[in-house]
Amino acid sequence: MTSTITHQIIDEDEDDDGFDWEAAVREIDVACQTAKPSTSHADQFISHFTTPVSNASSSKTKQKAGVSRQSTLDKFVAKAGPPRPQSQNRGTELRDQDGVEGDERVSCIDIDAEAAKTWIYPVNVPLRDYQFAITKKALFSNTLVALPTGLGKTLIAAVVMYNYFRWFPDGKIVFAAPSRPLVMQQIEACHNIVGIPQEWTIDMTGQINPTKRACFWKTKRVFFVTPQVLEKDIQSGTCLVNYLVLLVIDEAHRALGNYSYCVAVRELMAVPVQLRILALTATPGSKQQTIQLIIDNLYMSTLEYRNESDDDVSPYVHNRKIELIQVAMGLDAVEINNKLSEVLRPIVARLCAIGVLQNRDYQTLSPCELLNLRDKFRQSPPPDLPHIKYNEVEGYFGVLITLYHIRKLLSSHGIRPSYDMLEEKLRQGYFARFMSKNEDIWKTKLLMQQSLAHGAPSPKLSKMLEVLLDHFKTKDPRNSRVIIFSNFRGSVRDIMEALANIKDLVRATQFIGQSSGKALKGQSQKVQQDVLEKFRAGGYNVIVATSIGEEGLDIMEVDLVICFDANVSPLRMIQRMGRTGRKHDGRVVVLACEGSELKGYMRKQANSKAVRKHMRNGGMNSFNFHPSPRMIPHIYKPEVQFIELSIEQFIPRGKKVKDDHAIQASVLEDKLTVAETSLIAKYFHPTDANTWRPSLIAFPHFQTFPSRVHKIMHAHRTGMLIDMMQCLQGLTFSQDCKTTVVEDEVFLGKSLVVNTAELHDNETKGLPAFDNSPKIRSQREVLDSEVSPRKIIRTKEKRIVPDFCRENPPVHSYIFGSDYVSVDTFGKVLILSVPLLPLKEGSHSKCTIASSTKSLNSLKQDSRYLRTWSEGNKELVMQTMAVVEITSPTRCIKDETLPTSGLCDSDVQHEKTLDEFENSPETPPLKGNLSNERASAGETPDVVEIKAPLPLDDECTDESRDIELSPRLTNLIKCGVVPESPVNDRGLPNGKKKNEFLVPDLVPPAQSPTELIVKSSSPGKNEQGIMEISNYRRNGSVSPINNAIQTPVLKLNNNASITGRISTSPVVEEAQTPFANLTNNSCSKDWHLSSGDKSESVEQRRKFKRLRKIGDCGSRKMKSIKENLLIPISNLARSFSSRSPIQNKHARGKKNPVKHARAFIEEEAEVSSDADVSDDEEDEQDNGSYDSFIDDRINPTAASSPSESCRIDMMAIYRRSLLSQSPMVRQYKCAATSSPNSVASMTKTCETASSSGKTLSSLQTPQTEFANQSAGRNSESFQMRRLSSQVVPCTTSVSPRGSHEMESRKRKLRFCRSESVPTINLEPQFLLQSETAAARDSFQHGDTNSDAKEDAFYDDQFYEGLDLDAVEAQATLLLKQKSEMSMREQEIIPQLHPQNCSLLSSPSFDLGI
Amino acid sequence: MEDETTFDPDLIHAIFKLVWTRRALERQKNEGADALDFQVGAGTSKKNRPTYANANALKLSCELLRVFITEAVQRAATIAEAEGVSKIEATHLERILPQLLLDF
Repeated sequence: MTSTITHQIIDEDEDDDGFDWEAAVREIDVACQTAKPSTSHADQFISHFTTPVSNASSSKTKQKAGVSRQSTLDKFVAKAGPPRPQSQNRGTELRDQDGVEGDERVSCIDIDAEAAKTWIYPVNVPLRDYQFAITKKALFSNTLVALPTGLGKTLIAAVVMYNYFRWFPDGKIVFAAPSRPLVMQQIEACHNIVGIPQEWTIDMTGQINPTKRACFWKTKRVFFVTPQVLEKDIQSGTCLVNYLVLLVIDEAHRALGNYSYCVAVRELMAVPVQLRILALTATPGSKQQTIQLIIDNLYMSTLEYRNESDDDVSPYVHNRKIELIQVAMGLDAVEINNKLSEVLRPIVARLCAIGVLQNRDYQTLSPCELLNLRDKFRQSPPPDLPHIKYNEVEGYFGVLITLYHIRKLLSSHGIRPSYDMLEEKLRQGYFARFMSKNEDIWKTKLLMQQSLAHGAPSPKLSKMLEVLLDHFKTKDPRNSRVIIFSNFRGSVRDIMEALANIKDLVRATQFIGQSSGKALKGQSQKVQQDVLEKFRAGGYNVIVATSIGEEGLDIMEVDLVICFDANVSPLRMIQRMGRTGRKHDGRVVVLACEGSELKGYMRKQANSKAVRKHMRNGGMNSFNFHPSPRMIPHIYKPEVQFIELSIEQFIPRGKKVKDDHAIQASVLEDKLTVAETSLIAKYFHPTDANTWRPSLIAFPHFQTFPSRVHKIMHAHRTGMLIDMMQCLQGLTFSQDCKTTVVEDEVFLGKSLVVNTAELHDNETKGLPAFDNSPKIRSQREVLDSEVSPRKIIRTKEKRIVPDFCRENPPVHSYIFGSDYVSVDTFGKVLILSVPLLPLKEGSHSKCTIASSTKSLNSLKQDSRYLRTWSEGNKELVMQTMAVVEITSPTRCIKDETLPTSGLCDSDVQHEKTLDEFENSPETPPLKGNLSNERASAGETPDVVEIKAPLPLDDECTDESRDIELSPRLTNLIKCGVVPESPVNDRGLPNGKKKNEFLVPDLVPPAQSPTELIVKSSSPGKNEQGIMEISNYRRNGSVSPINNAIQTPVLKLNNNASITGRISTSPVVEEAQTPFANLTNNSCSKDWHLSSGDKSESVEQRRKFKRLRKIGDCGSRKMKSIKENLLIPISNLARSFSSRSPIQNKHARGKKNPVKHARAFIEEEAEVSSDADVSDDEEDEQDNGSYDSFIDDRINPTAASSPSESCRIDMMAIYRRSLLSQSPMVRQYKCAATSSPNSVASMTKTCETASSSGKTLSSLQTPQTEFANQSAGRNSESFQMRRLSSQVVPCTTSVSPRGSHEMESRKRKLRFCRSESVPTINLEPQFLLQSETAAARDSFQHGDTNSDAKEDAFYDDQFYEGLDLDAVEAQATLLLKQKSEMSMREQEIIPQLHPQNCSLLSSPSFDLGI
Repeated sequence: MEDETTFDPDLIHAIFKLVWTRRALERQKNEGADALDFQVGAGTSKKNRPTYANANALKLSCELLRVFITEAVQRAATIAEAEGVSKIEATHLERILPQLLLDF
């Protein structure tokens, strides 16, 4: 009794918890006074629990497991069922009810039959017998678990929950804990014990708004709630009561009066609901009556009580030392106390006189007693007392209570709290009015003030500090935790102030309730949780707490609890002590002031011991229990199963975004029908992995021009974006170059120019250089495979270097030194490139002519450009390729330069020049084919030798030498080829035959087609394979080309948009490559023809060859580009890589016009740019070949008008038309342009204005037709012109018939091409070719043999046609005069030279920089 | 234009609401995290209430969305047609997306 009363007094300052206590106390009083057996209650119980009873009775025979419960049941029925007969009747009556309710239960909550065969007990933590026993009981009956603190009540609850979770797949489980921190703590603790999946659990406190809670109630299955939430949600109906299977009530000792626990349970029972209730508490009550109340309120059917001293518990109880420290009141306090007594005495005396108060020592009275007395007085006032006096008595009581409270404060907490209270009370209210006249009270107040002015050292505070300091001396302040309990917030503040003095040791914080009083502000629950978190983590090591910290806080490390006031209920004392000694030994220090406080403490301790007796043996003898449902039908006999549960990491709900999504989704799902949800599932994959996120940067190229719009026009910002993208993409290239090439930075811009220039001069050396590249690479490979006679095998560099060294060692070394740095930066690539540079410069040094040097420089820059390019791709293979290419150009340059040098050295005679040209073309092709072998076998000397003889002027000698060379070369080739082509056997024979065929011609083409077919048959080959093939077969260049063609075609088919660009470029290359092959073949053929016919013709043919070679070079370059493009296809970078070349071209095209004054070059540049544009367009549109054609057509026509002015312009137009016509233009460019250039230069003198007019007309006419056709016509017309012009003078054996044939062939060829180009497919080409071949068969003389296969035909015919033209031209030239020849050649030479010069000038400039 | 069927305002509203509430919840959470830093918990403010739209704004939104989507589809369609494909793929959309987004 006293204990509860104490609470009431403290109430005012306590947290909200306190009010419940008060209510509970009242409830207890009421209950106690109004005789326990409330029949109505009993009836209720009976009605509620009829089903279990009947169940039990019905299943009694089968089932033994329920015995214990049944016994309790029976007991209950015996005890609590007052109307016995009724209950008797029930037996039968309730059968029906039972049926109904049973159905209800079944319908609501399905039992997982499989799971119900067992119940699981986790062995993650060591098994404790008492926990196991209690759990077993709690599974099958409503159990009140009274277990001392820190002995694992939560584990019991968690295990029970887990099993119910298993048994009832739809059932809902509620765990109620009285405060938010506790809820949070318990959800985590339960998770860590049994690991109920977190997606099913949710903690709900008042912070979550009711609508959200309603969602949770639907979606989740395990709820950790505060009782208030539970109560509200049950009342509002959001809690799905019918699905509840288990209710766990933590800190069940609160279930008194109208506390939410009681209300909630009452509501549930009123529904009625079948559910298991498990109540947990460490302190069921301080009196037998209160415990009975709890049992009644929660419908408990068993009580499981364990004490620290119990056998099965004691091993787990940590030693907890309780010290009671008596503190003497300070002198000041004693004085004040006496003064207060003075105030009290008369009032007490007066009350005694009235008779309300028993005559006793006023010193021993306590506020609680006074309160009780007052209640008593109100209920039954003394009869003799007049009504007027009632108020007076009430007033006295009030004043007395206040005074006693102050006195109590004074003794237990010190002067300040009591002073504060007194001052507050004196300010207003009845107390103020009553006491204002009292002198003594003012004296006391004055005394208090005085002592406070002196600092009011409270003996308790100082003692507490002493204890604390002692504690932290022995324990590490970082690991040790201390909780100081005080009943009163005011004293909490005092303690905090006192602790502030020892800040270095103590990091203290307060932990108080939410309600904000006048003096102190409360702590919100968030702050509370924060405090606890920090306390656990070590941010604080001392908590000064009010009663809020007493219950349930599971803080392992607390090893000292200081109870600042001792006179609290034993319940709370136990709870306070329970905060320590959980993990290891703990210590409790109770500070008790001598006097009333100490006495009270002692009395309460004695009290609690008495209560324990009641609870022995499950409280069978002391308490009345209630029946409870078994929940699991008796047919199931769950057997225990010990399982080690795998528990996932607990994720605090704080950051869960997921939950919100879950809610939303669930809300949606609730509203959708099954069909709709299935639809959604079908189209919207729930996993995020499958969701597609559009990329804004996937197609930067598409952002360089405005996209087509439908109704919404482009905004200004789009324009800005487009500009920016254009800008950026223009810059990207240069940036890449800069980043990649350290040294080359200076050269980049210029190199670009140079490159452009070289591009313009497709005929000139740059292109041939490109042609050679694959061959050189193959050479390298050959070198690798073979042991070359010169022993250059060690490293590639060395091999190459020695070659150059031979030529001129000193220069090489010098160059090497200069370029070496670049080698470092680039690494391997550079190593390769380095030799190149020396080569170039070596050749450069050799060449005395400035032009040649310039050309070299330009080539060098080209090579660099290539390098950069390759770097952009950054694939090693690519790099190697590029390097190879670079090397090859250098060699070509060498070759060319050598002839040029020869030209310079030798007389300016036309013939010589011609010879040189011949040589040069020859050498390139031969070298192109054989340069590899040359390098390996030391062909360079041969070449040099060849050159040396070349200047000898005689054409015949040249021829003979050429022939001589050819055998040598063939031999060399054989040597080289055999090792080379281990991959393809056919390639070897082809190459050999080709070499041989230089003499016989016809055989190889046939083979080459076979190769083509073979390769075509195997489209599955990879790009690399193609690369290799190309490398291996220099002679059989046709085959690689074919392969290349095939692959691109395939890619075209496969890739729609992305590859579009890339694929287009390959197409171009393909087209070109065949040409190159053709040119090669044709060259050989030409050679044959020439050899057969005339030396002169041969020479010119050689020129043509060379030109063709150039074309080949171009095509090969394209190839390389293509390869570059193809390889990275899979990568996004490919777009960049592919773009970079294009951009380069653009840049070149743009820069060239600026730098080069010549219209010729400009036009070429334009052409190139046009070609680039066309490429781009192709890229953009797969079908775009047509479009591009059209566009191109337009361009040339536009250009044609200005071109009319000059012949050169005409030439340019030709080129343009040729170039621009087809995306494939390149071949045309190479072939056609080359032919026009050379031929034109040759024939210019002869040509008349009429021819130009023709050309113009021809150019204009084709507009309606395909550009290719137009080009073809142009060329045809041009050739016609030439032919006509030539035919007149020509008297040679090459008859007009031949020319006619040539024309026809050309036409056919052109047509074929034109057709094939648009279709882009190889097949049409082949078909056309075959047709043409058939047509040609009749025409061709000795070549018919080779015609068997289309490609060969194609090549042969085409080149033959060209050759014929050339032959004719040469014949005419020969017939006319040598002077004309000289003139022409001079023209040619100038053409070449100027170009070189122009090109070189810029490079030289670059170099200078 | 007026007669053309546009999106159901209710649907759009539902979508908007979904986003708004989600955002509000996030805001709440963020603020909750912030509030912990203050020892003195400030009461939950009402600014966490989700956004809402009035009927006309909703109608306008529907129309805007319709225009946006049709434009996107049309533009992607042109790209697809240019490629000779009869089916609009994601890549087509990606190509027009940057400019489309800027246009709106």
